[in-house]
Amino acid sequence: MIAPNYRSKNSGLWLALTLLTLFSLSLFLIPGFIIRPFTHQSEPGLRMAIAVKLIAPAFTVVALIGLLALSWRLWRCSSLWLRTGIVTALLLSVTSTVMVRQNYFEWMFNPIKAAGFVSAGDAHLDDKEMVMAVRIAQEARAYPILQMAYHHILNDTVAEVPIVVTY
Amino acid sequence: MWKRTTQGRELHFYLAGINNQNFLMRDRETGSWWQQVTGRAIAGKLAGSALELMPNDELTFALWKSEAPHGLVLAPVAGHGDKDYDKKWEEETAKYPVPLTFPEQGLKDRDVILGVEMSGQARAFPLEKLRGPIPVEDKIAGVPVVFVTGPDGESVRLFRSQWNGMDIDLYRDAQRGPQSAGKSPEWQLLDSLGNTWNFAGCATSGPATGQCLEKINYLKDYWFDWKNYNPRTTVYSH
Repeated sequence: MIAPNYRSKNSGLWLALTLLTLFSLSLFLIPGFIIRPFTHQSEPGLRMAIAVKLIAPAFTVVALIGLLALSWRLWRCSSLWLRTGIVTALLLSVTSTVMVRQNYFEWMFNPIKAAGFVSAGDAHLDDKEMVMAVRIAQEARAYPILQMAYHHILNDTVAEVPIVVTY
Repeated sequence: MWKRTTQGRELHFYLAGINNQNFLMRDRETGSWWQQVTGRAIAGKLAGSALELMPNDELTFALWKSEAPHGLVLAPVAGHGDKDYDKKWEEETAKYPVPLTFPEQGLKDRDVILGVEMSGQARAFPLEKLRGPIPVEDKIAGVPVVFVTGPDGESVRLFRSQWNGMDIDLYRDAQRGPQSAGKSPEWQLLDSLGNTWNFAGCATSGPATGQCLEKINYLKDYWFDWKNYNPRTTVYSH
């Protein structure tokens, strides 16, 4: 039996493969878990989540390169089961690498890419509907709260003043 | 609502996360993280910076339109309908659990308050105590202020109740009485100096004609959120 011998020789590499996979996953899952709706975010927790998010794009790539190198090394001497493990590790790491580049908050609440405006007379709003209103110089604008409560953010410019409408 | 410039640089914000049910945004230019409710950067290159408040109102559409007939309204964004623009969002949000609780000052966590901050002093005014025909007067950091409910019975504005260096008492015009023959009387406030004021806070007759009261910005918020960011806030109770 050759395989067990190889495996014991490679046990350090297998450990590295496992740890790198977990590291890559944690870069996505830790901030995802801390910054989730309806729960309490503590200050240190939030600080950690943001710190992880800042390094995640680079470090998931580093982890993926490391995993590819390890896989290259381990593939030939691995059984079908172990190869399944290698593929799983690579898939998880790729998933993490992709996900840390996604803004899933914008999946839930799509941003306004190009805001359109209608005149007060042409707007189809109920009289009682609430709007956020701003007036700068002679320009007045209204942002229906119903819309802002979904999109949350609008970068706008009124009378040449750049503003961000938030709700 | 904030001015999106800091140190002369224009920023563009996007939604980036949530912190105790108040959202976090990032700017495309530096990637810094900002707390929506405070306008302060909490992480990244601009950490510690604060955006300047853009004074704004929360009004009913009808009232806004009467004041700004030539104004522009944000159009619904293509691809988003009643599912996203949920008319019951306030009722539904009211059912969500709260991430923080502050029961000590007599308010429930999701009570809607208007929060005011002047000269470092913060005070929460329960909205249900403000809406109504009688203006609500108070003093914050020694400054006399008055909450006024508009002719629509919904929109609320806050003014510094001083004119020409004098404190003024504002009250609704009672003599005109209830509406007659289906025509509602013109909405106005009176003061003891013989001025009449409209809901924009500008004098329409009397010695102050043409002048306006200083409008003060407030934040409509849930009690727990206001208290979280204004731990020393007092609560209006009259």
